[in-house]
Amino acid sequence: MTNAEADALLERYSRADITAAELRRRLGNISYADVIIELGKRNLPLPRASEKGREERLAKAHAWLFPHVT
Amino acid sequence: MSAPRVSLFVVDTGPLITLAAADSLDYLLFPNVPVVIPDAVFYEATRDVGKLGAQSVINWVKAHHAEIEIAVTEIYTIYDAARQVNPAVRMPHMGEQAAIEVIEEPGRLQGDDVAILLCEEAAITRRITINQPDSIVEMTTMDLLRALEREQRINSADAVFERAEKSGRSPSRIEKFGDHDPEIRDAVRETLASLQKGYGGRAER
Repeated sequence: MTNAEADALLERYSRADITAAELRRRLGNISYADVIIELGKRNLPLPRASEKGREERLAKAHAWLFPHVT
Repeated sequence: MSAPRVSLFVVDTGPLITLAAADSLDYLLFPNVPVVIPDAVFYEATRDVGKLGAQSVINWVKAHHAEIEIAVTEIYTIYDAARQVNPAVRMPHMGEQAAIEVIEEPGRLQGDDVAILLCEEAAITRRITINQPDSIVEMTTMDLLRALEREQRINSADAVFERAEKSGRSPSRIEKFGDHDPEIRDAVRETLASLQKGYGGRAER
């Protein structure tokens, strides 16, 4: 894999377009620690997955973790 | 009606490494529910103690052994046995398979028990066969941090991620993890071996 291809994959991961599992596999089964370091080298942020479409499930999880909220 | 019994299952290494890199592993304990880490996930997060976050994870588990369960799995036991014969053996997706094994373990989720699966991305539940799918919800690391932020238990979820990102950019920070205690690796091996000896019931707490 070329550096440009690795850059592109890391950018896609940073945008949450691909999963960490796919990224790690395509970069040769690197560890998650290496993912953070490779993102850091390129000044890319960790992905912030959107809550859109998951609001109900996340509200349920929140209520389980913090029952006083309900 | 009483609240359901909630457990937090850490089903891949991502949350452990991200929070370790941000010096924020204790946030996993803030909801005050049992934390379960499958042995294979713990092993994958710590097998190279020179890696970012690994030693922090080990130290954190040791410091909070009463609150954190390292759950024994057959997949890791098989891997460990195979590794004795061939140290180069690889078992892809072992952590994920171990997580599924733990969650599907008979007696693990009973009655009104519910489980939060903490992972780097929400994709694992579709691979789990469970009688009560409504009793499981996946959260990413950021989802958990946002929940803590809403509860005013932490100041800023984004600030935690920014600390992890900064850690990945900092050569001195990364090098620091290479300066590990040489006894740690043996301690991890002994911990996992002692758990395997007791395999057959739930792991030690």
